[in-house]
Amino acid sequence: MTSRYRLVSIGLHLVMSVWTLFVLAPLCLMFVAAFKSQADIFTRPLGLPRTLSFAAFERAWGIGIGGFLFNSVVVTALSVTLIVVVSALAAYVLARASSRRMQALYLLIVAGFAVPVQSVLVPLYQLVSAAGLLNSQIAIVIPYAAYGIPFTTMLFYAFFLEFPRELEEAARLDGCSRFQVFWRIVLPLSGPVVASAAIFQAVFNWNEFILALMLLTETRVRTLPVGIYGLIGQYSADWPALMAGLAIATVPLLIVFVAAQRHFVRSMSGLGK
Amino acid sequence: MTDVTQQGPLSPRGRRDMLSGAMLLPALALVSLFILAPAVYAIVGSFFEFTITSRNWVFVGFGNYVRAAGDPVFWTALRNNAFLIVGSAITQVGLGTILAAILDRGVRRGNAIYRTIIFMPVVVSSIAVAFVWILILDPNVGPLNAIVKSLGMRPPKLGWLGDPQISLWMLLVIAAWQNVGFQMILVLAGLQSIPKELYEAAALDGAKGLRAFRYITLPGIRNVLIVGTLITVVGGLKVFDLVFVTTGGGPANATQVLGTYSYLQAFRLGNMGYANAMSVVLLAIAVLFGWLQLRLSRKA
Repeated sequence: MTSRYRLVSIGLHLVMSVWTLFVLAPLCLMFVAAFKSQADIFTRPLGLPRTLSFAAFERAWGIGIGGFLFNSVVVTALSVTLIVVVSALAAYVLARASSRRMQALYLLIVAGFAVPVQSVLVPLYQLVSAAGLLNSQIAIVIPYAAYGIPFTTMLFYAFFLEFPRELEEAARLDGCSRFQVFWRIVLPLSGPVVASAAIFQAVFNWNEFILALMLLTETRVRTLPVGIYGLIGQYSADWPALMAGLAIATVPLLIVFVAAQRHFVRSMSGLGK
Repeated sequence: MTDVTQQGPLSPRGRRDMLSGAMLLPALALVSLFILAPAVYAIVGSFFEFTITSRNWVFVGFGNYVRAAGDPVFWTALRNNAFLIVGSAITQVGLGTILAAILDRGVRRGNAIYRTIIFMPVVVSSIAVAFVWILILDPNVGPLNAIVKSLGMRPPKLGWLGDPQISLWMLLVIAAWQNVGFQMILVLAGLQSIPKELYEAAALDGAKGLRAFRYITLPGIRNVLIVGTLITVVGGLKVFDLVFVTTGGGPANATQVLGTYSYLQAFRLGNMGYANAMSVVLLAIAVLFGWLQLRLSRKA
């Protein structure tokens, strides 16, 4: 009995290890290739780098990764802030209202969740270019914010529904306005859900490609994904520099993920509910 | 508030409504202006013909839809989307569920390490994923060819992504590599919400192993599986980045999907109206599945 149990246990570990290694190998390859020399890439595809050289990172930085990194940080920070504040305000009002009209407004916001950005590319392009905002940070921050709002509002709505109302009523008796109750009582006590929403949206916007591709056509305003994509034509043979650029774009997310794993899991199990 | 101007015609109730409206307005405005209005505008625009710079729209009725129906590439794209949707649902939800079940009940040691690593690709941008896999599959410098050759086999002559018979399958593998972790975490959360007492009670009644799985586990994660499948389906419908970067829809449109083909028509060939018509097809399918997801998750 025990030996059979051991056998099963070993088998299950084997399944987990195989997929874990399969996942790990391409990620390792990215870092290994970033430290290789151009010649090593061609002559020893499976080999480890012979010297630990940061030359590829320097080349990547030299062709503009630094600027893309800066743009990505600005765009992500602004859009996530906007998403969290705007969604929290709306979700709070909606979670405290019961009229049919308000429910219809909730459905209107949530309906945005079903519209894929790919299906409105042409109108969005027309809208942004008619406003004269092509190739500006605003042009990308505002649509990012809009597309983050439906899901985040749903997440906050569910949380606010369960928020203890006694606390709010006590604050109202002390003379707080509705907005003050929200700003001073509810929001400060919503740390976990705010963190989950913010991290989820940050990853999404940090990696967003198609809108950035369409709306940011000048190199100086580009974010990391579309910036790196744009460099390919010019530097197509320089695999180490490309991998170094991708590593620079990826490492911040891996750090955030490992540090804040439980927040990811929380916003994801919100999806399952 | 003793300010006289605040007292006038607005009752306290009216003032509260004003405040509520002000708190709701930003969300409503952004969603309406950047999501809902463009969706309506895409539908309207699908009945016209116009180019990226021209302001004169020519009304063509259902012309763009008729054109799609007669365009073999449109049907290839639709078929490829369907292939990726079905393939992803099987590989991602299937593997994700198996791995989650093992994590939940099978292994104790190394649990956190497995979970963390397998989820990692979910946070990596699809552009990075695409380029790393281009390197892996490269016919000249790619490690996969080196491995296949060292095993004494012959890699595909046209390359893993260059062979129209293979490239779509490769996209399926890459998508699974990136997304299985997502499904795994989703299902794991569902599994962990099943009370352990249920299993104990069932064991007393003689239900163990597969029977316990059939009568306790499966009903317990039913909703999570449905939501996971729908997310995968919508993901397969919306796929763009991965295809755009790895194959660009090629070779010879073999991996073209709705997203890449309508992008090509709009921003490379300047057929904005035609692109809109294809977008509307995509939108209609997405809204159907989105509505299903909302309905099913409401029931839970």
